[in-house]
Amino acid sequence: MRTDFDAIVVGGGPAGTSFARKAAEGGMNVLVIEKKKDFGVPVRCGEGFSERWNQVLEMNVSDADLGARMKGAAVFAPNGKKIVLVNDQTTGYVLERKMFDKRLALEAGRAGATLLPKSLAIGLVKEGNKTTGLRALHEGVEKVFKAPLIVSAEGMEAKIAREAGFDCKYDPYDVDACVEYEMVGVKCEPLIALWFGNEIAPRGYAWVFPKGVDYANVGIGVGGSTGADPKKLLDDFIGNHPEFFGDATVVEVKGGVISVGAPIKKMTSDGFMVIGTAAHQVDPIHGGGIGLAIEAGLIAAKHALKAFESGDYSDAALSGYEKEWRGLEEEKLGKRLKLRHVIEKLSDDDFNHVFNETRSKDLDEVLNGHFQGLAARIVLKRPSLLKVLKVLI
Amino acid sequence: MAVKVNHSKCIGCAGCVGVCPVLALTLEENKLSCDASKCIDCGACIKICPFGALSKGDSK
Repeated sequence: MRTDFDAIVVGGGPAGTSFARKAAEGGMNVLVIEKKKDFGVPVRCGEGFSERWNQVLEMNVSDADLGARMKGAAVFAPNGKKIVLVNDQTTGYVLERKMFDKRLALEAGRAGATLLPKSLAIGLVKEGNKTTGLRALHEGVEKVFKAPLIVSAEGMEAKIAREAGFDCKYDPYDVDACVEYEMVGVKCEPLIALWFGNEIAPRGYAWVFPKGVDYANVGIGVGGSTGADPKKLLDDFIGNHPEFFGDATVVEVKGGVISVGAPIKKMTSDGFMVIGTAAHQVDPIHGGGIGLAIEAGLIAAKHALKAFESGDYSDAALSGYEKEWRGLEEEKLGKRLKLRHVIEKLSDDDFNHVFNETRSKDLDEVLNGHFQGLAARIVLKRPSLLKVLKVLI
Repeated sequence: MAVKVNHSKCIGCAGCVGVCPVLALTLEENKLSCDASKCIDCGACIKICPFGALSKGDSK
């Protein structure tokens, strides 16, 4: 096989294969290195994908490609009060990631990218200070690939990006530890359901993401710095809700660690781009990152193609990607991080109080970053919450 | 020093790799390993592992 490329992508998840598809469509010779033998496994998330991301996919997909249709979200307070919310962020799909990631990889291959599973990236190739390629173990044999551009789409691990000097390390405070069962025999509605509360899931939440009329992803995430045991909490949660899970059984165990912090400070350098979860491009409220990863991959490819045409792969040339991405997502994600930091300070009693004052319309506004109305109303009724909520007013 | 990996509990999610401050952990295919020459025994990986698959190794 050839060893010289225009770009080498490390990681075959949604960010990496979306980058590869668009860059290859534009004429670049792209190599995608994937350490596993196939794409999309093991699944490490709830597989939620909101409606609005259909607009950024740049790919023809049918409902069948996208999995189970969701009509909205249901949020539960610790005391069980439920609020249903329907908007373009809560309607969408619960994907079958094994199929979806493979479809993205297929389209990258169709566009002309070279995909190389069973290949572990082990280090950068340097000439002086300049990165000129990548070393990888392919089926245990070391190979050297050359390219003027390396793209880290490495997800949580980000070892190559960290070797290149990017600050991708995750602090335990900025992650949730998650355990999830795919269960059949679940009584579920076509709604993404979330349960909050410090007893249910310290600094996190429990979820039911339906994948059909009787089966769903059922999971719990807890703050990574809490030391709580998500598997025990998930078993407790399931045991405490026989009305949903009384007849259910586990068909698959999944889990992982998800990013719930801020994006990294810098996403490009000379001949290098970082995209997706490696760049911490994840929603800090629910830990969703599939749509953000695809969007980042496609934006990065657009700017990589400009570099390909001009031959200028300098940081200045590539940084257009970061600027464009921040313009689209930074403000919204920043507000959501602020909201997360407030939610995790609420006691269960405070949370119940907040929820008693909250209508579906308020939740819609809050998710869109308009906190003032609701926060002010809550503080009027419970002034002790001013200390926690004042950052939102 | 090195953390011990209980391979019957580990599902290969790689979350630990992302929090390791010294890049001591590697996930190859679905097999996690720890480089004893790099590990500083900080315990970050043990704390965040969702499956309780990591524990303190014997110091030598």
